[in-house]
Amino acid sequence: MGGNKQRQLSRRNLLLSAGALGSTGLFAPHIAWSQDGKILKVRSYSDLQILDPAFRLSAPEGDIMRAIYAGLATNVPGDVWDWKAVSVESLEQLDELTVAFKLRDKIGFTDGFGQMTAEDVKFSIERVANPANESPYAGDWAALKEVEVKDTLSGLIHLKNAFAPLWTSTLPTTTCSILSKAAVEAAGGKIGAQPVAQSGQYILTEWTPKQRTILRRNPDWAYEPGGYDEIQIIPIEDPATAELGFEAGDLDHTWTAVSSISRLKENPPSGGVVLEKPSLAYVWLGINKDVAPFDNPNIRRAVQHAIDTESVVEAAYFGAATTSTGIIAPGLPGHRDKVLYGYDPDKARELLAAEGATDLSVTLDILNQSERLTAAQVVQANLADVGITCEIKQNDSGTFWTLGSKDGDYWDKLQLIIGRFSMEPDPSWATAWFVPEQIGVWNWERFDSQEFADLHAQGMVETDPAKRDEIYKQAQDIMEESGCYVFLTHEVTGVLHRDTVAPGLKPNGEPLLGDFKPV
Amino acid sequence: MLREPLGVLGISLVLLVVLGAVFADFLASADPSKISPRNRFSSPGFEHLAGTDQLGRDLFSRVLHGGQIALAVALGSTAVSLLIGMVLGLIAGYGPRWLDNLLILVFDAMKSFPTVMLALALVTLFGPSLTAVVVVVILVNVPGYARIIRTQTIALKSAEYVTAAQSMGASTARVLRVHILPNVIGPLLILASMDIPVVIAIEAGMSFLGLGVRPPTPSWGAILNDGFANIRESYWIVVAGGIPIILTTLGFTFLGETLRDVFDPRLKGR
Repeated sequence: MGGNKQRQLSRRNLLLSAGALGSTGLFAPHIAWSQDGKILKVRSYSDLQILDPAFRLSAPEGDIMRAIYAGLATNVPGDVWDWKAVSVESLEQLDELTVAFKLRDKIGFTDGFGQMTAEDVKFSIERVANPANESPYAGDWAALKEVEVKDTLSGLIHLKNAFAPLWTSTLPTTTCSILSKAAVEAAGGKIGAQPVAQSGQYILTEWTPKQRTILRRNPDWAYEPGGYDEIQIIPIEDPATAELGFEAGDLDHTWTAVSSISRLKENPPSGGVVLEKPSLAYVWLGINKDVAPFDNPNIRRAVQHAIDTESVVEAAYFGAATTSTGIIAPGLPGHRDKVLYGYDPDKARELLAAEGATDLSVTLDILNQSERLTAAQVVQANLADVGITCEIKQNDSGTFWTLGSKDGDYWDKLQLIIGRFSMEPDPSWATAWFVPEQIGVWNWERFDSQEFADLHAQGMVETDPAKRDEIYKQAQDIMEESGCYVFLTHEVTGVLHRDTVAPGLKPNGEPLLGDFKPV
Repeated sequence: MLREPLGVLGISLVLLVVLGAVFADFLASADPSKISPRNRFSSPGFEHLAGTDQLGRDLFSRVLHGGQIALAVALGSTAVSLLIGMVLGLIAGYGPRWLDNLLILVFDAMKSFPTVMLALALVTLFGPSLTAVVVVVILVNVPGYARIIRTQTIALKSAEYVTAAQSMGASTARVLRVHILPNVIGPLLILASMDIPVVIAIEAGMSFLGLGVRPPTPSWGAILNDGFANIRESYWIVVAGGIPIILTTLGFTFLGETLRDVFDPRLKGR
C-alpha cells in the first residue's frame, strides 16, 4: 500500500518534483545549455522581416541569409578582414574588369529546385544590380556590366570599371547570396519572411515572429558542415535584457550593451567569455531637412552646435566608446580627424535667435534600447539648453526601421532620429546610403547632394588609397555642411559567449553563424 | 480615527508623501532633469541624498518631483472617475430599466478589458503620455464606482423617505441630490481612498513600461525602469523608485481601512 501511495501523482508530489527540477537548473544552470554540438542559442537585436538579399532590412537578416543561402564567398572569422569561398570552387580576378568563378558541383537548392548553376549566379547578381528592381543594395554592384555564363557551373563577372570595394564589401557579403532563379520567379520575384529554395550550411525550418528563428543543418550540404545541429536565433532588442538572458542560461552568445563591457570584463558571468571588438558601425543624430523647422539650414546648424557629443557618448556608453568624426571608422580610408561644427551652445542660441526661432518643439525617434534612450535624453537636455523642447519617441525595431521609408506615412513627420548602421570594411559602404537615390530608402535625412553622389561614385572606381582617403573625407565634409548630421560614435562591440562555444566572428564582432563551433 | 495606530501611521505616511511632493522645490535644491553624465551612479551621500542615476540626475529630487506626478494622477483621475461613476451610477439606479441594462452592459464591457491591454491599446492609438495614463485610470475605475452607486441607489429609491419626497412633488434631480446621494457617497469615498494606491501603481507601471510620462519628466515608474536597466551598476536607483511607491501604497491603504472601520465598525478587524 505504502509503495502504491508513493507512486501516486498528488499535487504535493508534483510541486516537489517541479521544485527539485527547478533547483537543479538554479544550482547548475549549465545543464540546460546546449554545449554538445546539438543546439546553439544566439541573440539577434531584431527579428527578421525579409529574407531577400536584395531587400534586407537589418544585419541580423543578413546573418541568417549567409547561413541559408550559399553565397559566392564569405568573411573569414578572426581579427583580419579576409574572405573564403562558399559556393565556388574558384573565384579569381583575371584583370581589373573581370572575375572568373566556378561553382562547386554539389550545391543544391531545397524544395526540388535542383543544382546551383552559373545561371543562378547571373540571375542573383544582376537582380541586385538592375536599377529597375530598385534594390537598396544596387550600389554594391554599381560597377557591374554583366555576368556571362560560360557553362553550367562557371562564368565571368564583367565590370564596367575598376571597383575598389569588390573584395571587401561586395563579394563576401549577403548581397552575393545566390538564389535559385526558378524559385524566385515562382515566388513572383520577391521574397518575404519565408525563404525560397535554401542552399546553405543550414536551412531555416521554423520562424515564430518575435520569439525565435530555428536553423537546422542542411542534410544535403556536402562541404564543411556547420558546428551545430540546430541554431536558435532569439530576437531581443535590448542588449541589457540579453545579458540577463545569458546569465539565466537562455543564450549561448549575445552582443552586450557597450556600457556593460567594462563591468562584464571585470566580472564575467560564470561560464562566460567577454570579448571587445573594434566596431565599424556608426551612430549619428539625423535631421530631416525636408520637414519644418529643419527645412531652415540655420536651425539645422543650431542643432549641430547644440549637441555635446562627448556627453551623449559618455552617458550612453559609460565611457566605453569614443566620439566619432564621421561615418567612416578609424583605420579605413576617409576617416576624418575632426568635425566641422562642434559643440557650441552659444553659437546655437545665436543662430536660433537670428532666425526668430523661439519655443521650438521637435520630436526625436529612437529604437527602444536603453543605450539609445540614454543618448536621447542627453540630446533632449542639450536641446533644452538652447531653448528647443524635444519629445522622445521610442519605437520597436519593426516600426523603427520603416520610419523614413518613402512608402510609409511618417517620413514627412520624422524630424530627428538616432540612427545606427552596420558597416562593411570599405568606406563606400558608408557613403552608399546617403546618395540621392537612397532618399526615402535609407537616407532618412533626405540629404540631397549631387556632389556627394559624384564623390561616392568616384571613390568606388578609385583604387589609390591616398586618393580614396581624400574623396571620402570630402564627402563627409559635404554631409556635415548640409546640417543634416551630428556624428556620435562608432561604438565598440561587446561579445559574450559560453566557454563551450567557439564563436565565428568577423573582425568587428558580427557573427558568422556557419562558423560557430562547439569547443 | 486618531486612536487607531494604523490610521495614525496611514495619515503620517500620506502626509509625508503629500508634503514631500508639495514642497519638492524647497526640499530638493537640484533640478530633477539636470543631467551630469560624469556624476552618474554617485552613491547616496551628503551631496545627493538618494544618489544619482545613469545620467547623473539627483534621485532625491526626482523622487520628490515624481511624487507630484503620482499624486496629481492619483487624486485627479480618482476624483474624475468618482464624479463620472457617481453620475452614471445614479442614472443607472434611478432611471428606467432599459437605461440601467444598457449602462450595466457598458460598465461590464469596460471592466472586462485587462488594464495592461487597455493601456497598450490607448498608447498605440494616441501615443504615450500623462493623458493616456489618466484616461486608462478613469476607464478602469469608473465602472466599479458606478456599479456601487447604482446598487445603493436601487436599494434607496424605494425607501419611504424617498417615495415621500417624490409624492410631495420633488424633482428627480432634487431626490437624487438631496435624498439619495448623501446616503451613498460615504462608502464610495472609502473605496476611492483605497483605490489611490492602485492608481499610483498603474501610473508607475505604465511609466515603467515606457507608456506613461515621457522623459525627462520624473516619475516613480520611470525611476524604477532606470534602476532595472542599471541594477548591475547601482542598487540605489531601484530603491529610490521603489520606496515611495511602497510607502504611499501602505499609507493610503492604512488610511482607507481605518476610514472604513470608522464608518462601519462591524467590519473592524476583517
